Amino acid sequence: MNIFELMMEYIKEGRVKIDREKFAGKLATVHDPCNYGRKSEKAFGKAYYDEIRWITDQICDTWVDTYPTRENNFCCGAGGGAWAMPYTNERLYYGRKKAEQIEQTGAEIVVAPCHNCRDQIMKALTKEYDLEIETFYLWELLAEAIIVEPWSEEEVEKAHAEAEAQWEHFGVELDDDWEPPE
Amino acid sequence: MSQEPIKLGKRESKLRVDPKWADVCLTCGTCAGGCPVTGVDGMDPRKAVRMAALGLDDELINSRFPWVCTLCGRCERACPMGVEILAMMRTARGLRERDKVPGPIHKGTMMSMERGNNLGIPYDDWLFLLADMSKEMEDEGFPGFYVPVDKVGARVISTVNSKEPFGEPDDMKFWWKIYYAAHESWTVSSENWEGVTWGLFGGDDESMKEQARRVLENARKVKAEVLLLPE
Ligand code: SF4
Ligand code: SF4
Repeated sequence: MNIFELMMEYIKEGRVKIDREKFAGKLATVHDPCNYGRKSEKAFGKAYYDEIRWITDQICDTWVDTYPTRENNFCCGAGGGAWAMPYTNERLYYGRKKAEQIEQTGAEIVVAPCHNCRDQIMKALTKEYDLEIETFYLWELLAEAIIVEPWSEEEVEKAHAEAEAQWEHFGVELDDDWEPPE
Repeated sequence: MSQEPIKLGKRESKLRVDPKWADVCLTCGTCAGGCPVTGVDGMDPRKAVRMAALGLDDELINSRFPWVCTLCGRCERACPMGVEILAMMRTARGLRERDKVPGPIHKGTMMSMERGNNLGIPYDDWLFLLADMSKEMEDEGFPGFYVPVDKVGARVISTVNSKEPFGEPDDMKFWWKIYYAAHESWTVSSENWEGVTWGLFGGDDESMKEQARRVLENARKVKAEVLLLPE
């Protein structure tokens, strides 16, 4: 199972509830990471394009695709470990294609399902190309939109006992004066 | 470009994924046309394929191009002849002398082999961070939340991208919130929890296999049904 399937399972089975007001009125667009698209298709015979869009659709009112999209989508420019390489100018130059694509959609929210892509879009391209966007991990988008219901007292108690036993087992000591919140 | 005459290599090339390439590639340039870094250093994927076809292995291996290329696969996807450009680029990376691999990629790979994560986060720091952040989560409206470590019987075992505990620990909370809301039975590992395989980028297959083996071993130890690589 991968992150998409797990998130979809939670949503479909109603294990997480989504507040659609959270991102209401904001136009979103999605980025297809090479790893989940072209590369996954080549390695495993399955690309993940629909899944990203399905999840986004559960959370956002409106979203649009970039052009080109899916298997012909542009890489953010930070693939292949480029984020960790010394070729910054080349990486930014590469990213101009992604920046153009994003700008053309007019989206305010960019959904990036990969660490590299998110860092490149959020920390590099937004500034370099003056994009007026907010970038989210796909799971961040979900986490932000979830309606969290606190656990029952029983569950909380059980968890506290487990947590205490675990940290003791690992010899981790937290401040003495700390009490679990009521 | 130097003006020295270029010596063509032997007919064999370590980079040529398929010996028929010289004939198969139409030099149509479709690959180069769709590559965002065509032109950088006067290179493009079509030229790289030609170099491999002509046996100019060393020239390609020592050039920056296989590293400026993000291995995005757009060229290969568009190629009408199915030339495996990506495999060639990655092979070229792998054939670079290890101490000449650009940036921290090789160091990170070795760090991961030695210490279980690319950034060398020590065991105690990792556990303390998790304990401390568990407490934070409770204060932030998730009563009962804690990060289960090495929990036998957890359904989901999750790896971690070391850049998060290293520099952006709060970003780990996104998944934690989802797990909390879903009442998931999940866990992370106390050791060898790295989810990012830099060996993949450096062309280092051995390290890649070793890392995958460790992650699987962790998953087996806790008898997890689902192994999640939150990439
Ligand atoms: S697209 Fe394929 S056939 Fe055309 S130049 Fe590139 S590698 Fe050769
Ligand atoms: S894989 Fe490399 S050469 Fe091919 S299009 Fe992407 S960046 Fe260009």
